[in-house]
Order: sequence, then C-alpha cells, then structure tokens
Amino acid sequence: MSTHLAVAGGERHSLEGTTGVSRVSASRRLYEFLRNRPGIILSPLSFVLLLVLWEFVCRAGLVAPIILPPPTRVWDGLVILFTAPWFPQHVWMTTAETLIGFAVGGVGAILLGIAMVNMPLFKEVVYPYVVAFQVMPKVVLAPIFITWFGLGIESKIVMAIAISFFPVVINTVVGLESVEENAMLLMRSLVASRRQIFWKLAWPTALPSIFAGLKTSLTLALIGALVAEFVTSKDGLGTLIITFSFELKIYLVFAVIVVVSVLGLALYGIMEYLDRKVVFWRHSHFTG
Amino acid sequence: MPRTGSRQRRSGADACTDAIEIENVGKVFRTRLGTVAVEALRDVSFAISPGQFVSFVGPSGCGKSTLLKLIGGLIEPTSGRITVGEREVKGSRRDIGMMFQTPVLFPWRTVLENVLLPIEVFGLDRRSAMDRARDILRLVGLEDRERAYPSELSGGMQQRAALSRVLVVDPQIILMDEPFGAIDEFTRERLNLELLRIWEERGQTIIFVTHSIVEAVFLADRVVVMGTAPGRVLSVIDVSLPRPRSIELMKSPDFADVVFGVREYLGVAR
Repeated sequence: MSTHLAVAGGERHSLEGTTGVSRVSASRRLYEFLRNRPGIILSPLSFVLLLVLWEFVCRAGLVAPIILPPPTRVWDGLVILFTAPWFPQHVWMTTAETLIGFAVGGVGAILLGIAMVNMPLFKEVVYPYVVAFQVMPKVVLAPIFITWFGLGIESKIVMAIAISFFPVVINTVVGLESVEENAMLLMRSLVASRRQIFWKLAWPTALPSIFAGLKTSLTLALIGALVAEFVTSKDGLGTLIITFSFELKIYLVFAVIVVVSVLGLALYGIMEYLDRKVVFWRHSHFTG
Repeated sequence: MPRTGSRQRRSGADACTDAIEIENVGKVFRTRLGTVAVEALRDVSFAISPGQFVSFVGPSGCGKSTLLKLIGGLIEPTSGRITVGEREVKGSRRDIGMMFQTPVLFPWRTVLENVLLPIEVFGLDRRSAMDRARDILRLVGLEDRERAYPSELSGGMQQRAALSRVLVVDPQIILMDEPFGAIDEFTRERLNLELLRIWEERGQTIIFVTHSIVEAVFLADRVVVMGTAPGRVLSVIDVSLPRPRSIELMKSPDFADVVFGVREYLGVAR
C-alpha cells in the first residue's frame, strides 16, 4: 500500500514538472506504472481466469451443478436475492447482530482489560478464566445461548459478544502493559497522577494493539452471529444459507456466501479505515 | 588560573536555586524474595552547589544512572540521604527536570504537543505556555518543525525536542542521563555547545551522566568519577577551565591535563 502511494506521489511530482506534455505522455506513464507494478493487473486477471476455469469445469459437466454451480448461476442467485423483497431484512439482521455484539463486546472487553491492568490481584484471579475462554471453541456455546436467550436477536448478539470478546481483552492488557520504562519514568518525574499517566501515556500506547484486537474481533463477531443463526433462527444470512441448503438450491447458498463475504470485507474495511485515522502513528515507532 | 566559571557570575542572580547534598548514600537492588542482587552504590557523599554543571562519568554498571534517579526521587536510597535545598528527596519533584538517553517523545503528539506535555501534567494554562514553548523551540532550532511528528525528525532533532520539553517548565535542576549518547559525534558536539549556551543563559543546576571522559570534562564545573563493583565515587574533580567553552578548548594542554587526571582515576578502578 505504501509503495503504491509513493508511486502515486511520484506521478504527481512529474506532472507538476511537465504540465504541457502530461496529456501526451499519459498512456506512456500508465504503461510504465503497470510495468513497475504488474501485480495490479495480474491479481484481478488471475481472479477472472479462475472464474472462467470454474465456469468451464461446470459447463463441461465435470461437476454436477447441484454440487458446484457455475459462476453465472451464482450471479443469477445474486440477482434473485437482490430483487427479492425479503432479502434486505436478512442482511440487516445479521449486520445488526454483528455490530451490536461487536460494540457491546468491544467496550466490555476494553473495560475489563483496563480493570485487569490497574488491579493486579483482580488480574491474577481473572486471567486464567480469560485464557480458558480464549482457547475454548466458542461455537459450542451457541445451542446453550439459544436455550437461554431465545430464537430472536438476543442469542445471536450474545454469541457475537462471546466470540469477539477475548481477543480485545488480551490485546488491551498487552497494549497497556507495553508502556516503555523511560516513558513511565518521564511521567513520574513530572509527578503525573495515575489518571494522567493512563490518559496521556498508557491509553495511547495501547491503542494500536487494541485496534488490532478490534479488527480481529469484528470479523469474529460476524462468525458468531452466523453460527448462532445456523443453530436456530428466523432471520439472517445464516438462516438463508441453512434454508437454501435444505432446499438444495446450492447456487443460492453460494450467492449468500458472496454477500456474507462482501459484508465481512466491508466491515473490515471500515475498521481498517478507522485504524488508520485513529492510530495514525502505528507505523512510526515509539522514539524511546 | 582564575575561575571565570559562570557559578560566580550567576550565584547572586539565582537565589531560588537549591544545593544538592548526597550523604552516605547506598543503593542495593534486591530480588523479589529479598535476597541481595546488586549493590549499585556504596557510601556515596558529595555536594553540588546551585547553578553548577556537574558530570558523572564512569564505566557501565558504576551506578551513575542509579544515582541520577535517586536525586530525581524516582527510586529511594537503601541507606543515607539526599537533600535538595534542605529538603530530603522523597519522590520526584516538579522543579527537577529529567532527560533520558532516548528522547521518549510520544509518537501521537507533534513536537509542540510533546513540549507542552509538562504544562498539561502540571495543570498550567496551555494557551499562555504556547509562546514560551515556541521561544524554546526557537532556542534549540526547531521553530519550523513544531507541527512535525517525532518520527519525522532526526535523532538529534528528537533530543532537541526532548530538551525543549524539559526547559518549558524551567526547572531549577536538570538531570540528564546520557542524553546524547545515541547520537552521532558531530551532532553530539553541537548539542553539547547548545546545552552550555542555554545553561549559561538560565543558570540551572545540571547533572550530566556520560561515559565519555572528554564530554564530561568539556561540559562540567566538576566531574564525579565513578567506579564499579560496588558502584562508588572514586573522586570529584574540579574543572577550572575558562567559560564560555568552545571546541578550541579541547586543544589546550589544560584540558588534556584534566582529561588525563580523570582517566587515571578510572584506570585505578578495576
């Protein structure tokens, strides 16, 4: 990404120098740009080739369409989904479960992490539980949450919380504890209060780590919501996948998978953007 | 040679600057179980007059940084006592500024914001401190970099910013722990000269820890020569070389004499 930007910057530079001939040399510059970065072409090209190959394999009758529908059929499925009046509510439901679970879980996890770092005894008591829950495959909890919280949105939110909680706890603790000794000495030499040390030093120090945790956990929250929907649900993309599977409409399952992937990508993109905005100094090391 | 040291010149003007007294100070670092780990300092005694520039010099492990932290109140002595202006040092004080080997600038703050950190921590008015911060940045030659982030600065500029952060609240005592140790020699010489210029203008007491004998002698009114195992003071040498000092001074036989004197003490320390 950074090299890409650097190249773009360089382009602008040369533009300033040669304003008169920029139009003439535009195609040449595009050619040189692509020659220097062949990945920009090759990466999407490989994707197109893959789709063509996939389509060919299906059309040639090498795989039954009930097992692997061709890309064109998946496209049909997408068209069906996006023209169906009932579709948006499912997308919305899964998105809401994911975001609510992520928000509640994320805030709770950060608070727990802060409490643990500030109260060593509390940390000593609680940390084993955190680690135990972290290594447990949270998916096994889904049926229990359905029993406890019902078939509605609540059980899905709880599942999203459960699965996205612990990476943030651990990253918060690690981040807050990564304050450099000299930085701490500096704050102490200024006779800073605990509150000042936290807000002016520890919290910003921990932010890159916390954001890394949040990025992981948003993706996990989506998994949590979908898994809970798999178990039992009335609405949501997970429900659609299960329903279409039972109906052997595999092309529609694939279409929903595409939607879920794009949703995941979009959520991750938002977090990535926030990360770059909030933790703008991530790639500049601490000078001390 | 008559002392043209700025101590005399300043002594009248700076009534608010306190003397530092170190009496029989020892420091033992223990492991968590209480067993003796390292005797960092044994029976250290000497005094520093107000407005003096004092260097601590010695090999690694001689306890010079430990002694600096003790004076700064960041750690407590195991035995003995340290007083600053008649008051025993118990914890850090806001009239003592500290500088470390690394600049410790916060990467999420611009240079100006880093310099204003002590102002914020002290609860002073940021607005009115702004002019002062800018004056100091001009003093150290960073006036056009105030909006830059630390990662955009060279090592020398980073330490200039760190020095500005110390100066912004005008502490009467500045403790410097090998502040220019990680910086190339050319830049370090320039920074040392700038430091002397600032000190001659403002007249703080400066304690400067270094492992360079030449640097120690060049800067200081007095050189505290320290040895290892256990960390202790081998000698306190008065440097009566004229001020203001310039690089030319390093050529003089008087300078060489003092440097050699310090070297001899360190040679004895085995």
